[in-house]
Amino acid sequence: MTDSLLILVTKPPYGFEEAFSGLRAGLGALASGLVPTVNILMVGEGTLNAVAAQRPEAVRMPSNVEAVNDMLDFEAKVYVVREDLLRLVGDVPLLEGVETIDWERARQVIEGHGMVTTF
Amino acid sequence: MRTMVIQIRSGTMMNMDTNIAVKLARAALDKGYGVRMFGYGEGVTLIKKGQDPKRFPNVGNETKELVEKGLEVVVCETCCKARGIARGEEIEGTKIGSLTNDLSRFVAEGDRMVTLAR
Repeated sequence: MTDSLLILVTKPPYGFEEAFSGLRAGLGALASGLVPTVNILMVGEGTLNAVAAQRPEAVRMPSNVEAVNDMLDFEAKVYVVREDLLRLVGDVPLLEGVETIDWERARQVIEGHGMVTTF
Repeated sequence: MRTMVIQIRSGTMMNMDTNIAVKLARAALDKGYGVRMFGYGEGVTLIKKGQDPKRFPNVGNETKELVEKGLEVVVCETCCKARGIARGEEIEGTKIGSLTNDLSRFVAEGDRMVTLAR
């Protein structure tokens, strides 16, 4: 039996469907009421999903901003590994409500969930 | 009974992920574990009836055989619709279901999850 799920987002927001699918899988789990805790951890290129200046309309794709905000609305934690983000795009503004952490804390987050899946 | 959840997101002919998934499921079932598989994204092609690869393992046939041994297989309906896979085209005993109802149930009732994707 598992009462907590961590969605590890490793893919960038556009060009792949994984990040959007992972965020929607998390939302589905929360909306079901069957999994009390569902959180998101963005690592590597997945950290780009937290960048505030995304413009999904430019590529006419579903909005990952909306998908992240939906998770936050359901009181999920959305963690972003700071060093991965800095390596890719530097210190840019992030979506309101996401939490930046270092890899040491990310390991604790991973260990603290009953089940982890990667997108 | 402890239960393993396999989330499969690769298509049947993309790479060896579905092949690994059915082998893993078979090994776990043989050891007495419960196994549930959820197909998401391209992974929904796992349940398509009538797969007939000429030179590669037929994971459709293997899936059907494992369902008869107790494997529960559900795939995402939205992903099926996006790919033109309609109800009635699924292998007997598998189900076109949903993230909210089925994957969530698998997570809540499962003990371990293995994700196969590229």
